[in-house]
Amino acid sequence: MVAALLAGTVWARLAYWQVLRHVQLSASAQAQYHELVPLPAQRGVIFDRNMTQLVVNTTVYSAYVSPDQVAPASRDTVASGLASVLGVDKAGVMQTLESGKKFAYILRRFSKAKADQLRALKLPGVGLEDESQRSYLPGIAAGSSLAANLLGFVTYDGQGQRGLEQYYQQELAGTPGYISSYRDLANREIVLGSHTHQDPVNGSDLVLSLDANVQYQAEQALADGVKKANAESGSVLIMDPTTGGIVAWADYPSYDANNFNHTDPSLFQDNVSSYLYEPGSVMKVVTLSGAINQGAITPSTVINDPGYLNVGGYRIADWDHRNHGNVTYQYVLDHSLNVGAMKAMLAEGHAACYSYLKGFGLTQPSGIDVAGETSVALPAQDQMSDSQYATTAFGQGIGVNMVQMLAAVNVVANGGRYAPPHVVERVGTTVNPLLLKQQRQVITPATAQQMTAMMEDVVQHGSGWTARVSGFALDEAGKTGTSQIPVNGQYTLDVWASYVGFLPANHPKFTMIVVMRKPHVPGSDRDWTLNDGYFTAAPVWQKIAQAMVVDWRITPE
Amino acid sequence: MTSTRILTRRRLGAAGPQHVPARRRRRTRGFVQVAGSVAADRLQLNAYAHAYLGLGAALVAVLFYLALAAQVTQSSYDITRLQDQQRQLIAEQDQLRYQEVTMHAPAQVQQSAAQSGMQRSAPVAYVPGQPIAIDLGAPAGASGTDAAPLWARYLAALVNKVGGTRDVMAAGK
Repeated sequence: MVAALLAGTVWARLAYWQVLRHVQLSASAQAQYHELVPLPAQRGVIFDRNMTQLVVNTTVYSAYVSPDQVAPASRDTVASGLASVLGVDKAGVMQTLESGKKFAYILRRFSKAKADQLRALKLPGVGLEDESQRSYLPGIAAGSSLAANLLGFVTYDGQGQRGLEQYYQQELAGTPGYISSYRDLANREIVLGSHTHQDPVNGSDLVLSLDANVQYQAEQALADGVKKANAESGSVLIMDPTTGGIVAWADYPSYDANNFNHTDPSLFQDNVSSYLYEPGSVMKVVTLSGAINQGAITPSTVINDPGYLNVGGYRIADWDHRNHGNVTYQYVLDHSLNVGAMKAMLAEGHAACYSYLKGFGLTQPSGIDVAGETSVALPAQDQMSDSQYATTAFGQGIGVNMVQMLAAVNVVANGGRYAPPHVVERVGTTVNPLLLKQQRQVITPATAQQMTAMMEDVVQHGSGWTARVSGFALDEAGKTGTSQIPVNGQYTLDVWASYVGFLPANHPKFTMIVVMRKPHVPGSDRDWTLNDGYFTAAPVWQKIAQAMVVDWRITPE
Repeated sequence: MTSTRILTRRRLGAAGPQHVPARRRRRTRGFVQVAGSVAADRLQLNAYAHAYLGLGAALVAVLFYLALAAQVTQSSYDITRLQDQQRQLIAEQDQLRYQEVTMHAPAQVQQSAAQSGMQRSAPVAYVPGQPIAIDLGAPAGASGTDAAPLWARYLAALVNKVGGTRDVMAAGK
């Protein structure tokens, strides 16, 4: 009886462990020896138009320690070794070792050279973990990397942030794979054991329209210009007139994408596509082009400019508050007269003016393939007041980003066609579909030619004289722009100063815009026109254009 | 003694139709069986010997399995070690690629150029195009005259007449 009772107890216990607890116990066992090892996909790299690699994937290492595996007698040796190679605080390491934890990081993301040194020491309980990191090319100074605001950066968990890294995250990242395998008691993988395997799919490479050399020249000239003009910041954007491909995209101040985790987040802001500004007189190119295309005016049409115009109950004046008398539209553009721009707008009418704003791409985002584009939609045509139309004609009261404005002026350079702005030419082997799409005709080639001639005159006889490139004085087109910055609905003395132009005038190789924000040129408190585009932005344009002429071997026609 | 019933059966068997025996599958004995039985016959093994032999064979099989498993495990570790080496080499290659790319970076090129005493200079002016003497817009005039002396032309005409030569026209296919 007793034997039967004992046997029953044993059998019951066995049934409990084997049957009732089967699922739970087998799961625990699996967790001990079975492991799912992720196989990270290699992130695609980024090339410029000349196949210069702009970013490289490198391997960095993290050191960890298992304090419970370090014998008390070895602690001092381990701490000394880690401190000497990694430069960490020895006392802190000792504290970690005495904690008895199972795992603790000592230092994250250091170079291979240090990892090799550490490996050679063969410290007990110390291990190395390798991780992939994006390494960007050096920029103009120690604290910056090349085209940081355009490229963006990648966080430690592999997420692209800002710029192209964010916009093309899916294409660049690829799809990670995994190995499901078994481990022995020493936690070593049993490769030939039963396991399943899924290969990772590496990310696609990007080929940009960017030119690294031009980018570097632009960054250098911009930094010098911003410092010289004592401006808050500045940006440069250069475009290929026929394709809309971006050749350079520079911001100053910028940051070092290799060191993004120690960077002031305010520097991540990209002022080219995420910053709205009032373009000022650069807009006159759009207004006059529309009016000429509409047949409302010609460059030689004479108007009377008394220095001001009453529109919608407001008295709007020229920048110099002078009576200019009878002037042609060529003179209006040369001397950037607001009254002339408003009269051109009135001559073509509100409806036509609005449709040209739309045609030039100023009423919607440019759709550029960079993360974070900001734009403000214009009110509907019938909801815009007379004064709004009037100020829009000379570029105030309308907010645009630099990409929109450059693409608009590029219509003139591109024979009247709108070339959609883009940065990426190819993703892997796939050509950007934008390049294959037909470009829309905004103004006729004849109008574009007339406007080009007017802009050439601006360089030869007007405000664009400071942008004259040696050898191209008779063969470049440009327009300055200066607009006051509104604060709480009131315009202040701070300005956005800009210059836009293309070269050579009739068969342009590039279109470029330079914007300076809040320049404070010494002496401008007495003569505020010293902060104008012709004095602050145009010289930067000239410097970059001069470098491009040499680099791209452009000759005058 | 033979019973009548047996005799009857024999008679019937001799006189009756020929019985076709069912076709039987020929079974051959395997080599191991034949060899085993031959060996057993010769060695005259008893039951204990058979048991020891079986046990020995099983032991050999187990040892063989263990050796194979150890070899497999060792190979696993070798592969892991080689994979680790491969990772290190790839890391080194990436590092070298970054160094190479950095060497070609515009910043590095400019720095090296500056150290060599070179600097970027803008062309002061381009060579202006000279006005050309020929008026390309003028209408085409009469064709040019033959400058050869008259006597030479007459001589050539005479030679051609006598020799029967004439201007050769290109007549390519």
